[in-house]
Amino acid sequence: MPRYGIAIDITKCIGCHSCRVACQNQNSLESNETFNWIKHRDRGRYPSYDKEFIPLQCNHCENAPCQRVCPTGATYTTKEGIVLVNPKTCVGCKYCMEACPYKMRIIDHRRGIVEKCRLCIELVRDGGTPACVTTCPTQVRLFGDLDDPKSAVSVFIAKTGSQPLRPDLGTIPKIFYKRS
Amino acid sequence: MQESAWGWLIITYLFLAGAGSGAFIAAVACDLLAPDWSKALARAGSLVAGPLVVIGTLCLALDLEAGFWQPWRQVYMVNNLRSMISWGFIILSIFIPIALVYAAALNEITFVGKLAQKYITIIEIIGSIFAVATATYTGVLIAVVNGVPFWNTPLMPVLFLASAISTGLAAAMILAAIIDVNTIKTLSNFALGHVIFLSVEALVLMLLVFMSLTRSTEAAASAGMLISGMLSPYFWGLVVILGLVVPFILSVFEFLEYGQMPKALVVGADILVLIGGMSIRALIVFSGTPPQII
Ligand code: SF4
Ligand code: SF4
Repeated sequence: MPRYGIAIDITKCIGCHSCRVACQNQNSLESNETFNWIKHRDRGRYPSYDKEFIPLQCNHCENAPCQRVCPTGATYTTKEGIVLVNPKTCVGCKYCMEACPYKMRIIDHRRGIVEKCRLCIELVRDGGTPACVTTCPTQVRLFGDLDDPKSAVSVFIAKTGSQPLRPDLGTIPKIFYKRS
Repeated sequence: MQESAWGWLIITYLFLAGAGSGAFIAAVACDLLAPDWSKALARAGSLVAGPLVVIGTLCLALDLEAGFWQPWRQVYMVNNLRSMISWGFIILSIFIPIALVYAAALNEITFVGKLAQKYITIIEIIGSIFAVATATYTGVLIAVVNGVPFWNTPLMPVLFLASAISTGLAAAMILAAIIDVNTIKTLSNFALGHVIFLSVEALVLMLLVFMSLTRSTEAAASAGMLISGMLSPYFWGLVVILGLVVPFILSVFEFLEYGQMPKALVVGADILVLIGGMSIRALIVFSGTPPQII
C-alpha cells in the first residue's frame, strides 16, 4: 500500500489562493468554507524584506491526535494513510477540533459534522492527484508515495531536506515543507 | 482555522458536572462523618447533585451538532476507549442514576427512596467513586488535548477535582440554608471544608499558572494572558479575589465564630465560591492557545 503525502515548496508560493478555490470546487464547499489556508509571514526588514506564503491543510498525521480523541471512531485512517471523517457517525462534539494542534478542521453547521482536507481520495484512488496539487499555477505542491524512494515527492524531500511543520509535536505529519 | 471550538455550553457543563459530583461527595461526607448533626446538609447535597449533573449533561448534548438532531448517533459515542468523551459517557450514565437514587433515599422520596435506604452505604461508596470519577474526568477531558499546550498537564484534573469539591459543598450549603434556617450553626462545621479545599485549589492553581510560564511558549502565552494579559482583570478579580480569597476569609471566620455569622455572609461566601468555579473554567477554556505552527 502507498503512503501518500505532499511536499510543498513555499519559496514558489505566490499566495494566489488557486488551491483553495480548486478545493472548494472539488469538495462542493461554500465560499466561506475551506480545507486549506494560506498564511503569510514577514521575513527580514527593508531593504532585504520578503513575504513568505505558507499553504496549510490537514497533515494526515500518522499519530493523529484528532483520531485518538474521537469518541465515535468517525475519524479514521484509510489504508493509504489518509485521515478521514465518516459523515454518518460523527456527532459534532468538536473534540477533534480542539485536539488537532494544527487547527486544520472546520465544523459544517449545515450537516452538523466536522470536515477537513480529504486528500481528494476519490481522485487519488482513480490514479489522479488532489485538486490543490493539479491546480497550482507555480506547482508548489508535489503529491506521491512517501514509501517509494523513487517517487518525485520522496526525491524532492530527500534533496531539499524538507520538514513537516512542528515535527516536535510528535504527530508525524505527511505534509512536508521546503523553506528557503 | 478556528481558535476555540468549545464555548459557554462546554464551560457550563464542566462547571455543573463538577459542582454536582462535589455536592454528592459533600452529602456523603456529612451523612457518614456527622450523623448526629442536622441532616440538612446531607439532604441538600443529595438533592442538588443529580439535577446539576443532568443539566450539565444537557448542555453537553446541546453542544453536539449532528448528534443532537439525530440523537441515535449518540450510540457511537462509546466506540473509542482512548477518547475521554467515551469514558465520560460511561461514567455519567452510571453516576446520574446513582445520584438520583441517593437523593430519593436520603429524602425518602417515593417507594424507590424507601427501598434504596436499605442499601444506603453501598450507594454512598459506589456513588462517591463515580462522583470523584466525574469530577476528575472533566479535567482529564481537556488535559489530554494536544491542540492546547496550556491544558496539557496532570495538574488540570487535580484542580478540577478540588474545585468540584468546593463548588459542590457551596451548592449544598446554599440549599441547606434554604431548606432549614436553623442549620446555620451546623454549616459552620463545614466551613472548614471550604478552608481546606479552597486552599488546595489555590495551591494547584498557582502551580498550574506559574509552571506554565516555563512549560512551552504556548502554555506561557496562555498563563501570561491570565496573569497580566487580556484576561487578567477576570482572573485576579473573579477567580483569585472573589472566588478564592474572600470566601476563604469568610469561611475562617464562619468556622471560628461558630454559628454567630449572619446568614447573608454564610450564603454569600458560597455564592462567591460558585462564581469562582465557573470563572476559572471559562478562563481556562478561553486562554487556550494553539501551537505556533508557521
Ligand atoms: S493535521 Fe490535525 S486534523 Fe489532520 S491528521 Fe493531524 S491532527 Fe488530525
Ligand atoms: S466532531 Fe465528529 S470527528 Fe470530531 S471527535 Fe467528535 S465525533 Fe469525532
